[in-house]
Amino acid sequence: MTAQEQSTMLVHGSLMVGYAQACKNLNIVAGRAAHTFIDKLEINNWYPLEQWRELERLVLRSYARVEPILVRVGVEMMLGWYHYGPGRALVKNGASFLHFQTGSQGFTSVVQGAPEVIGTFDMDFYDRRRGRAVIHSTTPFNRWMERGVLIGGLSAPGDLDYVDVLQGDDPDLLHCEFH
Amino acid sequence: MPLTLDEVLAQNDPTQVEQLSKEELHRMFWRFKGQQKSSDRDKAFWQSTNENLKVAYERLDEQERELARAYGIIQEDLSVAHNVQRALLPRVLGEMADEIEVGVYHKQLTEVGGDYYDFFRLPNSRFAIGVFDISGHGVSSALITAFLKAQFMQVMEHFDSPQGIVEWVNRTSFDFLREVRKYATVNLVTFDPDGIRYVSGGGYGYLMHGEQTFQFEKKNHFLGLRLKPYREFSLPFASGDLLALYTDGMVEAQNKQGIDYSVRRLNDVIARHRNEPCEDIVARCVEDYTAFRAQDTDDITLIVVRRR
Repeated sequence: MTAQEQSTMLVHGSLMVGYAQACKNLNIVAGRAAHTFIDKLEINNWYPLEQWRELERLVLRSYARVEPILVRVGVEMMLGWYHYGPGRALVKNGASFLHFQTGSQGFTSVVQGAPEVIGTFDMDFYDRRRGRAVIHSTTPFNRWMERGVLIGGLSAPGDLDYVDVLQGDDPDLLHCEFH
Repeated sequence: MPLTLDEVLAQNDPTQVEQLSKEELHRMFWRFKGQQKSSDRDKAFWQSTNENLKVAYERLDEQERELARAYGIIQEDLSVAHNVQRALLPRVLGEMADEIEVGVYHKQLTEVGGDYYDFFRLPNSRFAIGVFDISGHGVSSALITAFLKAQFMQVMEHFDSPQGIVEWVNRTSFDFLREVRKYATVNLVTFDPDGIRYVSGGGYGYLMHGEQTFQFEKKNHFLGLRLKPYREFSLPFASGDLLALYTDGMVEAQNKQGIDYSVRRLNDVIARHRNEPCEDIVARCVEDYTAFRAQDTDDITLIVVRRR
C-alpha cells in the first residue's frame, strides 16, 4: 500500500483511543513522547491511517516478540469497549459479537476511505451449534491485534466458556472457536 | 435432579461432579479448556513483556555505562579546567610583598567558577589588586574569567588609574559580554605610597585606617552592563592599615534559618582580628563563616591586605 493510498484512509478516534487506552492499561508503552501522543488523541476525531501506524509503532518498536502483546491489546480494547463503552448495549452475547463486528456498525463504522484501501472484515463461515466461524480480513490492521479483538469481543459478555481465534495457512483467515 | 456446574462450583465439593448433567459436563470441559487457552495467552503475554523487560534492563545497563563513561570524560575535563584556572591565579608580586602583606581565600563552588582575582603591575612601578565575580557559576563563567584576565593584562601597561583601566576593559569587553549574556562585578584597587584608589561596581571593600573604617562606594555599574564612565575614589592607606576585598559568596550565604552571613558580620570578624597576620584573619573569617552557613551557594573570594 502506497503512502498516498494510506493517507486516503481515516480511522475513527474511538478506535485510536481504545487502542491507546488498552496500551496504557497494560503498561506496555513507555516514554513521555508516547504518552504525550496518546493523550492528544480525541475520541470524536478522524485520524489519517499514518497516525494509527504511529500508534502501532509505539508498541511494535518496543517488543522483540510482539504478537502476544498485540493479541492482548486487542482483548483489552474490546473488554474496555464492552464494559466501559457502548459494547454492552450493542452485543447481547459472545457469539453475536461476530455478527456485530462484521456488520455495518462494526469495523466499517470506525474507518473511512475507498473500499480497496480500507479492505473488508467479513464472516465467511458461521456455525453457532459447532461453535465455529471464519472471518476473512483484508483490513490494513495487524492480524494479531484483530485476533485479540475477536477473542475480547467474544469473551466480554461472559456467556462463553471457551474462546479461541487462530490463523491458518492464509493469515487473512481468522478461525474462531467458541463454546 | 442433576446439578449445574455453577451449583457444584458454589458448593466447593468435587464429589458432586458426578451429579452434573451430560450437558453441564461438556460445559465443564469447555470452561476448563477455555481457562487453559486464556492461561496460555496470558503466559505468552507475560513472557513477551518479561523478554522486553530483560532487553530494557540490558539497554539501561548499557546506557548507564555510557553515562559513566561520558561523566568520566567530563570530570577529567573539569579537573584539567580546574588546574588551568588555578594556574591563572596570581602569586604575590615581589614589589607588592615588600609593601603589603596579603592573605587570600578563594574557593569555587564547583570545579571551575566565576570568581577571579588578580595582582597587576602598573606602568609607574606601582601595583593593583582586582577582584571580580562573573555572573553565574561553572564553566561558562570560568571562561569569562580567562577572557577578563587577558583584557586586564593588556590594559595594565597603558593606564595607572583604576578608572582608566576599568573603563577601557568595560568598553572593549562590552559587546562580547552582552553577546554571551554575562556581566561581572569589579573591584580594582591601585596602591599609591600613602593611599589607595579604587573603582568598585558590585564588589565589596572594607578598609581600616587607624580607628576609622570605610566601606567601598560600590555604586558603579558592573562590567558588561552599561557603557558609562566609572567613578574613582581614594582612601588613605598607611602603615598598619588593613583592607579587605571580597565577593558576595560569603556575605550572601545563609544559615539554616535563612539569615544572611552579611557584610556586617564579616567586617566584624575582620575588625576583631585586625592585629593578626593577614592569613590568620582570613582563616578566622573562614572559620566563622563555615560555622554559620548551611552550605556554600556561590564562589567565594576574600583578600585581606595590610600595609607594612
